[in-house]
Amino acid sequence: MADAALLVRNVTRRFGEVTALDQVDFQVEYGQVVGLLGHNGAGKTTTIRLLNGLLAPDEGEVRTMGLDPVADGAEVRRHTGVLTETPSLDDRMSGLEAMRFWAAMWGVPRDSVEERVGWLLERFQLTDRARDRVGGYSRGMRQRLALARTLLHDPPLLFLDEPTAALDPVAARAVREMVRTLAAEDQRTVLICTHNLVEAQELCDRVVILRNGRVLADGTTAEVVDAASVPLALVLEVGGQQVDTARRIASTFGDVRRVAGGRFDMDGVTRERLPELVAALVDGGVDIYRVAPEAPSLEAAYLALYGEEVEG
Amino acid sequence: MNWRSIFAIVRRDLTLVARAKAVMVPLVIVPVVLFVGLPLLVSFALDAAGSDLDDLLPLIDALPESVRISLGDGPLLQRAQLYLLEHQFATFFLIVPLMVCAVIAADSFAGEKERKTLEALLYTPTTDRELYLAKLFGPWLASIAVSFASYGVYLVVCNLALAGSVGRVVAVTPLWATVVLWLSPGVAALGLSVLVVVSARVRGFQEAYQVGGVLVLPVVALVAAQFAGFLFVDSALAVFLGLLTWAIALGVMAVGFGIFRRERLLEQV
Repeated sequence: MADAALLVRNVTRRFGEVTALDQVDFQVEYGQVVGLLGHNGAGKTTTIRLLNGLLAPDEGEVRTMGLDPVADGAEVRRHTGVLTETPSLDDRMSGLEAMRFWAAMWGVPRDSVEERVGWLLERFQLTDRARDRVGGYSRGMRQRLALARTLLHDPPLLFLDEPTAALDPVAARAVREMVRTLAAEDQRTVLICTHNLVEAQELCDRVVILRNGRVLADGTTAEVVDAASVPLALVLEVGGQQVDTARRIASTFGDVRRVAGGRFDMDGVTRERLPELVAALVDGGVDIYRVAPEAPSLEAAYLALYGEEVEG
Repeated sequence: MNWRSIFAIVRRDLTLVARAKAVMVPLVIVPVVLFVGLPLLVSFALDAAGSDLDDLLPLIDALPESVRISLGDGPLLQRAQLYLLEHQFATFFLIVPLMVCAVIAADSFAGEKERKTLEALLYTPTTDRELYLAKLFGPWLASIAVSFASYGVYLVVCNLALAGSVGRVVAVTPLWATVVLWLSPGVAALGLSVLVVVSARVRGFQEAYQVGGVLVLPVVALVAAQFAGFLFVDSALAVFLGLLTWAIALGVMAVGFGIFRRERLLEQV
């Protein structure tokens, strides 16, 4: 078995004058759940296509489970399941017909097709509507059917392109739960492309942020947040007699949003300046009862990274 | 070659076609109009022509001797009817496989792109060649099936229309056998080999279907040339045209095998 489940080494891919990926470099270890994040056109779908041998890189090296997808595309795709951005289902077929068709496409042994299809439809709560045409399914049902399709051949490697896009919150939560379970069982490797940063933070061990085809950040959520130097939101509680002094000092470090009694809600304090703030308050004779910084979200880090790039 | 995948795609494509009104309507209406309505209309029009029928005499007289013999020595009306139904309609028949190919091939690739179902297919372990072959096979089988069915219906209609007046079975001739079993499958193969490449490069069903419509023009030219007396398609010429058609079709398919790539399909997904 190769060292990495997915390897993208200095890959460049162009479409005419447009450079979709520019020296992209990252890898995904076996069993990891990795989020590939970025705006529309950042290069996420192109990356999935390269890793599955649907496209060839112009420069660089791509390996999927140690195989070269350009030379061994069919073999690579035997081991991968891809949930495409749109469910890619025929409205004129029933869910059951669709699953039987895809089972044949992935070479599920004939004598186990019915069992496998039935089990997946049951698991994704589609058994009752299995004989109905897909055209009558809700978005959530379509997405569940598409997800069931990716598992027909029990692939060790999953690519999920916007798995919860266009779903209502309840359906999105159900799909997230399924993704979490799929990743946990059999130690599957999962690459998720998403715009939903809360989802990425919730599901992923690591994230790779792409911007205009280049890697902007790569690491665990905590590492990316640290690297982004996101200003903190924090709650500060001081002695009731020293509110005015504390407010004067605090406002030089960030935005004081709300003051209620001795409690301050603040924004925009950088992690590096937090000890300075505390020291300044102590020096100013303020009694501090509580300093509670909120952990910055991946979303805040993402926006900060993108913002810096835009400004730069 | 993974034949299970190929046949799975063929079966699915044909199932989808059977369930699409926009695709099925032309597949039913065109053969019915051409091989039920038109022969009946021609027979009755000739019947009602009266003395105007004499205008056809020079055309009948100009036919090759073997054809004139096959028309018998009955009245002019009967010979004219036999000529049109046994000879002119044989070339006309080639419109059916082309039309079927145009409709199904357009739905097969371009329609699949339009419905955004192609991408999932590209992520399966099928090779480019297997995909290409599957996309050729489905419409070809359908065109053969529709052609045979059209011929069957045509036989019934012709023989009912001329029942009792001719004294033999109509439209069961070496020419028709050659057209139905040899030339028509060849024409379907040629049309398809072009259409699959075209369908892979356009964005939607309508666009591919319109391009497919252009393929009917050579057949229309052939029919017109025969009507005008410029050429006469007998079974020998039909065998030759079949050979030519199959040779070109196989050549275009070989080129298609070489250039058909997932990557090109993805450019427009």
